Amino acid sequence: MGETITTLNTLELLAIPALPLIAALAAGLFGWALKETLTHWITCLAVIAAAALSIDIFVQVLDGASFYGNFWTWMLSDGFIVPIGMMIDPLTAIMMITVTIVSACVHIYTIGYMHGDPGYSRFFSYISAFTFSMLVLVMGNNFFTLFFGWEAVGLFSYLLIGFWFKREPANYAALKAFIVNRVGDFGFLIGVLATWYYFGTVDYHQVFAAVSSFVLEGHTLNFLGWEMDAITFICLALFIGAMGKSGQVPLHVWLPDSMEGPTPISALIHAATMVTAGVFMVARLSPMFEFSETALAAVTLVGALTAWMCATIGLVQNDIKRVIAYSTCSQLGYMFVACGVSAYSAGIFHLMTHAYFKSLLFLAAGSVIHAVLAEQDIRKMGQLRKYMPITYVTMLIAALALSGIPPFAGFWSKDLIIEAAMVRDMGWVSDVAYYALLSGVVMTAFYTFRMFFLTFHNTDRVPAETKAHVHESPKVITVPLMILAIGAFGSGMWGVYALDITNPEVINGFFGNALFVMDAHNPLMELEHEPHHAFYLSMPFWMAIGGIGLAFVFYFKESAMPAKLASTFSGVHAFLLNKWYWDELYEKIFLRPAQCLGTFFWQKADLAIIDKGMIHGGIVDSVLAGAAKLRRMQTGMVYHYAYGMVIGVFGLLTWLMLKA
Amino acid sequence: MANVTFPFPYPQHLELMLPEIIIAIMAMVLLIWDLFLGKDKKGWIAYAAIATCVATAFATIQVTTGGALTTFYGYFVLDPFASFSKLLMLLATVFAVILSLDYMKDEENVGEYYCLILFALLGMMLMVSANNFVTMYLGLELMALSVYVLVGYQRDVLRSSEAALKYFILGALSSGMLLYGITFLYGVTASFGFDAIGAGLVNANNSAHGVVMLGMVFVLAGLVFKVSIAPFHMWTPDTYEGAPTPVTAFISVAPKVAGFVVFMRVLHDALPAVQADYTMILVVLAALTIVVGNVAAIAQRNIKRMLAYSTIGHVGFVLMGLIAANEAGYAGSLVYLTVYLFMNMGVFAIIVLMRRDGIQGELLDDFAGLSKVRPGYALAMGLLLFSLAGIPFLAGFWAKYVVFMAAIETGHLYLALLAIVFSVVGCFYYLRVIKYMYFDDVRIEFNFIESIPMKMTVVVTALAVTAIGLYPDPVMAICKQALVGLI
Repeated sequence: MGETITTLNTLELLAIPALPLIAALAAGLFGWALKETLTHWITCLAVIAAAALSIDIFVQVLDGASFYGNFWTWMLSDGFIVPIGMMIDPLTAIMMITVTIVSACVHIYTIGYMHGDPGYSRFFSYISAFTFSMLVLVMGNNFFTLFFGWEAVGLFSYLLIGFWFKREPANYAALKAFIVNRVGDFGFLIGVLATWYYFGTVDYHQVFAAVSSFVLEGHTLNFLGWEMDAITFICLALFIGAMGKSGQVPLHVWLPDSMEGPTPISALIHAATMVTAGVFMVARLSPMFEFSETALAAVTLVGALTAWMCATIGLVQNDIKRVIAYSTCSQLGYMFVACGVSAYSAGIFHLMTHAYFKSLLFLAAGSVIHAVLAEQDIRKMGQLRKYMPITYVTMLIAALALSGIPPFAGFWSKDLIIEAAMVRDMGWVSDVAYYALLSGVVMTAFYTFRMFFLTFHNTDRVPAETKAHVHESPKVITVPLMILAIGAFGSGMWGVYALDITNPEVINGFFGNALFVMDAHNPLMELEHEPHHAFYLSMPFWMAIGGIGLAFVFYFKESAMPAKLASTFSGVHAFLLNKWYWDELYEKIFLRPAQCLGTFFWQKADLAIIDKGMIHGGIVDSVLAGAAKLRRMQTGMVYHYAYGMVIGVFGLLTWLMLKA
Repeated sequence: MANVTFPFPYPQHLELMLPEIIIAIMAMVLLIWDLFLGKDKKGWIAYAAIATCVATAFATIQVTTGGALTTFYGYFVLDPFASFSKLLMLLATVFAVILSLDYMKDEENVGEYYCLILFALLGMMLMVSANNFVTMYLGLELMALSVYVLVGYQRDVLRSSEAALKYFILGALSSGMLLYGITFLYGVTASFGFDAIGAGLVNANNSAHGVVMLGMVFVLAGLVFKVSIAPFHMWTPDTYEGAPTPVTAFISVAPKVAGFVVFMRVLHDALPAVQADYTMILVVLAALTIVVGNVAAIAQRNIKRMLAYSTIGHVGFVLMGLIAANEAGYAGSLVYLTVYLFMNMGVFAIIVLMRRDGIQGELLDDFAGLSKVRPGYALAMGLLLFSLAGIPFLAGFWAKYVVFMAAIETGHLYLALLAIVFSVVGCFYYLRVIKYMYFDDVRIEFNFIESIPMKMTVVVTALAVTAIGLYPDPVMAICKQALVGLI
C-alpha cells in the first residue's frame, strides 16, 4: 500500500462525497416522511456544501497542496487488494468543482422543474447519489474505485432515464442505455483486470510508476490471433469502456435516446458529468495511453468520427433536446481527439467549459419545454424571446459558447483542440482528425443557431392553446441558468488567463504532473513555441461565423431554403434524419439474432427441457413426491417412531459389521 | 473468587460451579416464592428468572479462565468451550422467558413453568461442563425431564399432552440406548471419563473392536436423538407442533447447543480412536438428515412443523462441522449454533406475536398479507427467513459458508455438494412464507400481542442476523477462541 501523502484535510475530503451520499439516503429512505420542502433543502444544501468544500480544495490545490492515500481496505483476497482511497491533484480538483457546481445548479433547478412530481424525493435521492458516485469516480486513487464510480454513475443514469417509468419510451431508453453501457463496461472491466493481471496492483501510483519499465520489457499477448502489446490491449479495452460511457461511435446510440429522462438529468448526467467520465479516465490514465501509439490513434479516430458524424445528424433533428444531445456526442468527440493527440489538458479544459455551457443549454431548453407544455419539437416554437427574456439571453450565451465565438468559453478550449490536432503529427490520423473537427465547427455553429433561431426567432408557430401558458420560468429555474451563464461566458478566459491551464510545462503548468505527456509528441509544447495569433486569424473562428451566418440566412432571410435543400438532397436528408441508420443496423445484426437465440432458449430450453422435463415429471415433482412420502411416514404413531430409531441403530450396526 | 476456602472437606474449587449453583438455588427459591404470589403477580417470577440468567451470565464470565479447570473431584470441567455454550444457552433462555411472558400468562401455575425452564437450563449447563458420561447423563436427564413437562404444560390441550408423551417415551428409549452404549465403552476401558475412554480405546485390544463399535453406535444413537438427526428425528415435528410456542423456541435452540457441545466432546475426547468409523456413520446421517429435513419441510402447512423440519435440516449442516473434526469445523458448528439461536428465536417471537384470542397464528396462511398490516414485523421476519435460507449477506449465509468450507477442506466434497443442493431446496419453503407476507392479501385479522420485550426480541434478533451478516469476523473469532478446552 502506498504511503499517505497529504497536505489537505482528510475529513474535508471525505465530507465531499459523504454529504451527497447522506442526503441521498435521507431523501431516498425517508422521503415518504419528509415534505417536498425538506427533501430539497437537505439535498440542495448537501450538494452546495460539497461544492463549497470542493472550491476550497481547489484553491488549496492551486497553492500546491495534494493528497494521496488509502482509507481502508475494501477487499483482500489472496494478494488481491482493493483499497478505498483518494488521489487529489489538479486534474481531480478541476473535475470536482465542475461536477459539484453543475450538480448544485441542477439541484436548485430541479426544485422548480420537478415540482409536484409524485417521485419528487426519489428524484432528489437519485441525483444526490449520482453526485456521490461521480465524486467517487474522480476522487479515487485506484482502478477499482474508478470502476465502482463508473458502474454507480451508470446505474443512476439508468434509473434517471427511466425515471418516468410509466412512459414506455423512457423504459426502453433506460434499457438501451444500460445495455449499450454493458458492452462498454465489459471492455472496461477487462482493461481493469488486465491491469491487475500485468501489474499486480490496482493502485494508480504503483501502476503508473511501473508502466515505462513494463513497456521496455515488451509484454505482448495474442488476442484473437492478433499479436499486440499488452499496454495497447489494456488501453484499448479501457477505451471501449470510455466509448460506451461517453457516447462515442459505435456505442453512441444510447445517448440521444437518454433524452427521455427529465431535463435536469440530461444537463447533469448526459451533458456535463457522467458522459465526460470517459475523457477524464483517458486523461487520468495518460501515463498508460502515452505508451501506446495504437491506442492514441484509436482514441483520435473514434473521437474525430464521432465529432463529425454526430454533428451531421444534429443538422436536421427537430427535437430540441436531441439537437443538444447529438451536439454532446460531437463535443465529446472533440475531447477525445484532444486526448488522442496528447493534448490532455486541452481535453479536460474543453470538458470543463463544455460542462457549463452544455448544461446551461439543456437547462435553458428545459425552461423552454416547461413553458410550452412539454413540447420538444422546435417546429412548434418560435418567437419565444418575447416571453422568456432570461432564458433567451442565457441560451444565447450558451449557443455562442458552443459555437466557439470569442470571448465565450467554448472558443478557448475548442480552438486549442483543433490547433493541437493540426500541430500533432500522427500521419493521416491527425490529418483526418483535423479536417473532421474543422468541418464539425461549421456544423456545430449551424445546428446550434438553427435550433436557437427556430426557438426564439423566426415565425411564431406555437399552438394557440399553449400560447396562454407561455411565460418566463420561476426564479429557482432562472437563477441556476444565470449562474451557469457566468461559467459559459467566463470559464474559458478564466482557464486561459487565471489558471494558465494550457501551459504544458510540468513545473509551472496548471496540471503539473497530474497529466503525463511524452516529450516526443507534445502538441501543446509546440504551440507554446509558436507566436500567439489573434482570434481573427484562427480558422475555427471563421468557420463558426460561417455556420452562424448560414443559419441566419436559412432562418431569417431565405426561409424556403431549408425545405428546398431537403427535397433536393432527400436521400442525404433522410440518411441524416434517421441518424445514419445506426439503430436499424443494430436491430438487424444484434437485436434480431439475439431475439432468435432468446426465443430458441425460451422455447426449447426453458419450456421444453426445464419446465416440461425437469419440473413436471422431473426434479420438482420428485421432491414434492418425496415430501409427501416423508409426510406420510410421519404417522403420529409413537411405535412407528421408535421402530425408526431401532431400525436406524441396527442398520448402522449391520453396516459396520459387514464392512468389518 | 479463586481463594475461597471451605472449612470442611468440600470439593476443591467449587466456585467454578458458581453459575450452576446460582441457577439451582434460584430455581428452588422461585419455586417457593411462587407459592406466596397472587395469581396476577406471577409475572414477577419471569422477571426474576431473567435476572437470574443475567447474573449467571456475569458469573460465568467471571469464573472463566483461559484454560480448562476441573472441580468436584474432576467430574466437572470449566473451560471457555463450556462457558461459551453456557452463555448461548442463557441467552436462549432469556429469549424463551420473554416469549413466554404473554403467551403463558393465562396458564395455571405459571410460576412453576419458569422454574422448570431454569431446571432444564441447569441440566444443560451440567451437560456442557461434563467431562465424563456420568455427569453428562445426569445433566441430560435433568434437562430432558424438565423439558418433557414443559412440552406438556398445557394439560388441557390434547396435542400438548400428546407431544409430551411421545417425547417422553422416545426420550426414554434413546436414554436407554445411550446408557447401553456407555456400558460397552466402560466394559472395554473401565472408565467413564471422556479422556480416559479415549486413551483406553487407543490401547484397546483388537479383539474388542466389535464391542467398541457396538458401544459407539449406541452412544451416537442416544446423542443424535437429542439433536434430532435422522432417523432419530421423528419426535421433533410432533413435539414442536404440540408444545407451547415459547417452549418450542426453547427446545429448538438450547438443547441443540447442549447436545452438540456434548457431542463434540464425546467425539473429540472419547472416540478419536474410531474416528474413521464414526465419520463414516455421521456422513450418512448428515446426508440423510439434510435431505429429510429440507424435503419434508416443503409439505408442511403449519409453520411450527415446518420449522421443526427446518431445524432438522440445520442440525444436518451443523453436523458437517463435527464431521470435519478440526478447528475450522468445530468453530464453524459453534458459529452455526450462535447464528441459529438468533434466527430461530426471532422467527418464533413473531409466531408468538401472531397469537390471536385463543388461537395461535401458526398456519402458513396466517402470514398472508402481514406486510400490509405490520410492515415492521414482515421486514424482520423476511430478514430472519432470508438468513435461515442462507442468503448473503445475512448471518445464515456465513454459518453455512464456514461449515461447508470445513467439510470441503477435509475431503467431504460430495456431502458439501449435497448440502448446497438441499439448501437450495430449503430456500423454497422459507421464501414461500415471504411470498405469503408480501404478495398475498390479508385473510384473517389478527390481534397482535403488544408487548415491548417481545418487540425488542424481534428487533434484536433481526438486527443481529443483519449485523453478523455484514460483519461476521467477531463472531467467528469468538467461536474459534471458544474452542480452548476442546482442542
